[in-house]
Amino acid sequence: MNPGEMLIGVLVLLAGASALFWPDRGLMARIKTSKLQADRERVEDALKHLYDMEAKGLPCTPEGIADALSMSAPESANLLRRLVSIGLLKAEGGAFRLTSEGRSYALRIIRVHRLWERYLADETAVSESDWHLEAEKKEHLISAEEAAALERRLGHPAYDPHGDPIPSAAGELPEVSWKSLTALKEGEIAGIVHIEDEPPAYYAQLAAQGFYPGLQVRVIELRTDRITVEANGNEIALAPVLAANLSVVSLPAEQIKSGIVRTLSMLRPGERGIVTGISQACRGLQRRRLMDLGVVPGAVIEVAMESVTRDPVAYSVRGATIALRKQQADMIFIEEKGGE
Amino acid sequence: MSKNVQSKAESIINHARGLRWQVGESFHDRAIEALYEEATTIAGKSVIIAGEPPRFNFDRTLDRLVTSRWTGFPIMFLLLAAVFWLTIELANIPSQMIAGLLLDTVHPALKEFGVWIHMPGWLSGLLFDGMYLAGAWVISVMLPPMAIFFPMFTLLEDFGYLPRVAFNLDFMFRKAGAHGKQALTMVMGYGCNAAGVVAARIIDSPRERLIAIITNNFSICNGRWPTQILIATIFLGALAPPHLAGMASALAVVAVVLIGVFFMFVVSWGLSRTVLRGEASTFSLELPPYRPPRILQTLYTSVIDRTLIVLWRAVVWAVPAGALIWLVSNISLGGQSLAEGVINWLNPAGVLIGLNGVILLAYVIAIPANEIVIPTVLMLTVLAAKMAGVGSGAGVMFEFDSTEATAMVLQAGGWTILTGINLMLFSLLHNPCSTTIYTIYRETGSVKWTAVATLLPVILGVIVCFLVAQVWRMAG
Repeated sequence: MNPGEMLIGVLVLLAGASALFWPDRGLMARIKTSKLQADRERVEDALKHLYDMEAKGLPCTPEGIADALSMSAPESANLLRRLVSIGLLKAEGGAFRLTSEGRSYALRIIRVHRLWERYLADETAVSESDWHLEAEKKEHLISAEEAAALERRLGHPAYDPHGDPIPSAAGELPEVSWKSLTALKEGEIAGIVHIEDEPPAYYAQLAAQGFYPGLQVRVIELRTDRITVEANGNEIALAPVLAANLSVVSLPAEQIKSGIVRTLSMLRPGERGIVTGISQACRGLQRRRLMDLGVVPGAVIEVAMESVTRDPVAYSVRGATIALRKQQADMIFIEEKGGE
Repeated sequence: MSKNVQSKAESIINHARGLRWQVGESFHDRAIEALYEEATTIAGKSVIIAGEPPRFNFDRTLDRLVTSRWTGFPIMFLLLAAVFWLTIELANIPSQMIAGLLLDTVHPALKEFGVWIHMPGWLSGLLFDGMYLAGAWVISVMLPPMAIFFPMFTLLEDFGYLPRVAFNLDFMFRKAGAHGKQALTMVMGYGCNAAGVVAARIIDSPRERLIAIITNNFSICNGRWPTQILIATIFLGALAPPHLAGMASALAVVAVVLIGVFFMFVVSWGLSRTVLRGEASTFSLELPPYRPPRILQTLYTSVIDRTLIVLWRAVVWAVPAGALIWLVSNISLGGQSLAEGVINWLNPAGVLIGLNGVILLAYVIAIPANEIVIPTVLMLTVLAAKMAGVGSGAGVMFEFDSTEATAMVLQAGGWTILTGINLMLFSLLHNPCSTTIYTIYRETGSVKWTAVATLLPVILGVIVCFLVAQVWRMAG
């Protein structure tokens, strides 16, 4: 072997070795970091699960954890033992409880999760059914400082888009007095405050049926196999398992919207109405834009003209003519006012 | 005492924390509502409206006309056709005058001046044949149409008609996940893509604005119209019987424009459902009242803001390209010029997609301006085929006065009908010029979207040309 070949050989070896062992950037370091990250995610998911079970007043066992985090029973027992040893959990009989450190850790993760969902709902067009899944990933990657910056940017929201309260930086949560939709009586009117985001398939179904926090519903019929409610003038039938995922509060009398619900899209050219509200399903940028244009409760709005294909339609509101698409006009509620 | 104050402060803070949960989600909304209510009350008390404003009826009538099912689209097509026709008709004369001055008078004078001060041949070649000629070419092709097109377009905008076009066309753009105003940026792109990209500022929704920016290149710009018309005349007009030749080539150009519109919609649709899915999106379109256009102000702003700025950028990019074009044609390695070497190397790839090495090299070195693609192609063809006595020498771009002469050179360079068709397609589907790329970067502030806007059309172009070439060759 001549010296040139040897030199090349040595260089190749060196390059290979540094690619493997370079601090922070090398393959080994990356594997180690990703292992640490995976471990951290498991710990955090376990704490969240424990918090959830405690909030529901259910006992938490190693089998339950193994099931929820899809790991084997010995693995989960191992994980729980570790959490006890670092002081995040304490064992009581056969079940485990969070210590106050454990609870505040869990609340930090939940805070990031719900803030991120709020961000996705308000600032992006990521679809509703993906909010929860995206936040499940993001919750492990955002530091407390980043979360605080995000909270400021979003204007200190109190609730996530599913209606869950966002824990404050100090870990405070409000007392809620929700009940399940299934607990209502026929004819009762209530406001939806929360939609459970797990399992995702149920949530996607509820979102597709048009439920959102802030929606007013009236129970039409309660049967063991089906619950029918009226919302925004539509009748919606629900399976009881789905209805159980909707939490409601009773509304004070002055907040109950009565009469027939009409939307802006129902107006014909020349007709006018008074805006009574914008659906909560219209969020973020879309909602801000509408309000900037003066589409707020009390504003008089009139159909100015239809485009060639009748969508979009131009409306006059507060002296300006603005065109809106039907999909937007569907989300603006009005009360009719006869043309002059 | 201080303890008392502190505990009081704490209890207030605690109370406020408790209230935070009760104000709920909609307190921002309620604040806005309250502001509007207050403003309305104040206005109601202090503003007197003297009768119905008279403009109302005129506006309503005109709006009914331009948005009606029967007259809306015909009016739109007539107006846009008139704008294009006037641009083409009126731009011809000043274009020829400027070309006569800058290319036929000043250029030889500069060369003579070089000889007179004993400038070395290579320096005068680089400066006058390379850099000066490229800059002058861009000015003479670009300036007149833009100086006519943009003011007319801006007048329509100022009058209030263009928002009505967006209003009428929104239904098509909605289906593609885009904004109706993209119709306007697209039409602007027929003048200049860089101006079209800047015009996308009128779209206030982030996602739709990016879509408009990325797809603007599918509008063939001022620099590409002459290429389309020339090649259509030479290769497709010739297929038809002589009395229909003009019609056939015009139809071919229209077909290319429609293919561009097709790709614009398809790519918009694709982008809005894939990479841009998560970007925030909203729709609103203000339809301002009609008003008499301010002609002088419009002339000033459209000539200064749109035309000259874009022109300046184009010249800044074209001058170094001119130098590069001259250098690759004049630097020799192993007995042949650099250009010939690259052409031979690129030729197999070019032929595979129904083009040739000359066209590929011309598109690489003429990135700064589409205007100089055809002169560069001609020069390189003559250079590569070693045609004696044609053109003005290595590295000196030129054009013929007659289409027949151009056709002869191209056919001598081995061009077929397929080459012509594919050049038209590639001229539609290739990367935007460097001015536009730079403008996209400035407007989006993102390397990622600039890269997407640059590479996506080239990739599409290569694929489309390849497929057309395969089908053509299979068909015989």
